[in-house]
Amino acid sequence: MDPFTLVFWLVTVIWFIVSIIKDKKKTLSSIKMSSGMMKHMAGEIIGILFLIGIILTFLPPETIKEYAGQSSSLITTLIFALVGCITLIPAFVAFPLAGSLVNAGASIVPVVAFLTTLTMVGIVTFPLEKKEFGTKFTLIRNSLSFVFAIVIALIMGVAL
Amino acid sequence: MSKTLKFIKNNKLLVLVVFAYLFLGVFMPDKALGSLKNSLYYVKEMIMIMPVILLLTALINAWVPTKTIEKNLGKDSGLKGNIFSFLLGSFSAGPIYAAFPISKTLFSKGASVSNIVILLSTWAVVKVPMLLNEAKFLGPKFMAFRWVLTSVSIFLMAYITSKFVKKEDIPSNDISVDSEKNLLHISDDYCIACNLCVKIAPSHFEMNNKKAKVINQIIDKDNEDVVNQAIEKCPSKAISFK
Repeated sequence: MDPFTLVFWLVTVIWFIVSIIKDKKKTLSSIKMSSGMMKHMAGEIIGILFLIGIILTFLPPETIKEYAGQSSSLITTLIFALVGCITLIPAFVAFPLAGSLVNAGASIVPVVAFLTTLTMVGIVTFPLEKKEFGTKFTLIRNSLSFVFAIVIALIMGVAL
Repeated sequence: MSKTLKFIKNNKLLVLVVFAYLFLGVFMPDKALGSLKNSLYYVKEMIMIMPVILLLTALINAWVPTKTIEKNLGKDSGLKGNIFSFLLGSFSAGPIYAAFPISKTLFSKGASVSNIVILLSTWAVVKVPMLLNEAKFLGPKFMAFRWVLTSVSIFLMAYITSKFVKKEDIPSNDISVDSEKNLLHISDDYCIACNLCVKIAPSHFEMNNKKAKVINQIIDKDNEDVVNQAIEKCPSKAISFK
């Protein structure tokens, strides 16, 4: 286990022990709730993890580098950002997917654009948001999120 | 509906991937093996991080005083309100649509437009357990950079949106209830299938096709408490009672 995960485990386990001592019932019912949520995502998580394998087999690193590598254009970034807008997968499984692309040689710019629009812009949830907050609010919030996702991606590309 | 059919319907992606592997296994066995090998690394990493993310989400849920935070989002809360919105979003569980009903309730209690933007955006992007997942697969430096940039962007977006959208532009209707007849109602749109209400009040709620459903409208003295508790505990405030 890498040091990062190890520290993460340690902190959480210590907090868990303190939590159990302080309020056993509250802790256990909360764990039940989050495992309930996780159980409903399990199929999706396992599906995506095994899909990554297929993607990496049929899209060899050379192809990924060619289309989304360091020399990739703004167009690639925009396409990745658009894909992020219409996809509704939990961020939870988006990170291994994004990680696999970066490991295979994709530039981080399109990947960051995808990750940010994936969570912040919602085409699928647009009708729901509109119902609660009105067209103007929803339109402005989603468009701004898209623009900022591109800006964040470009800055990350320069900084890292 | 038979159990198998239900499973397929609930796990379309998984079923599709399994079929893809079966197809490859028959026609291109070497590709199937290669794909499995490629996936194995990610499966292993996920197994190491998943339980701890689950545990952390549960602990945050149990101990972060969201009620206190919500109380500090009212009218004229200024910068303090912005920071509290940011914290509430960062420590919540569930996808962005689960934030809509909560944000709407806070809005009707006086939260400003900018605070709603901050809450919705942080809820979507910068959740603490997710940051750890991101650091795991993309590196701590990547995560930290994206976190800082996103946080700054969220505050800018909140400022810009509040310049264009006034309070009057936002409809004041309450969370919509589809049917007038039903007293106890769960909004399908917002149920995140956490199963909590079913566990608290199995006499009144049941899971069906990934959503909780009301199975009993009769609420009497004996079960009033549990039903109220279920409404109160629902993480996305999807249960309404008229």
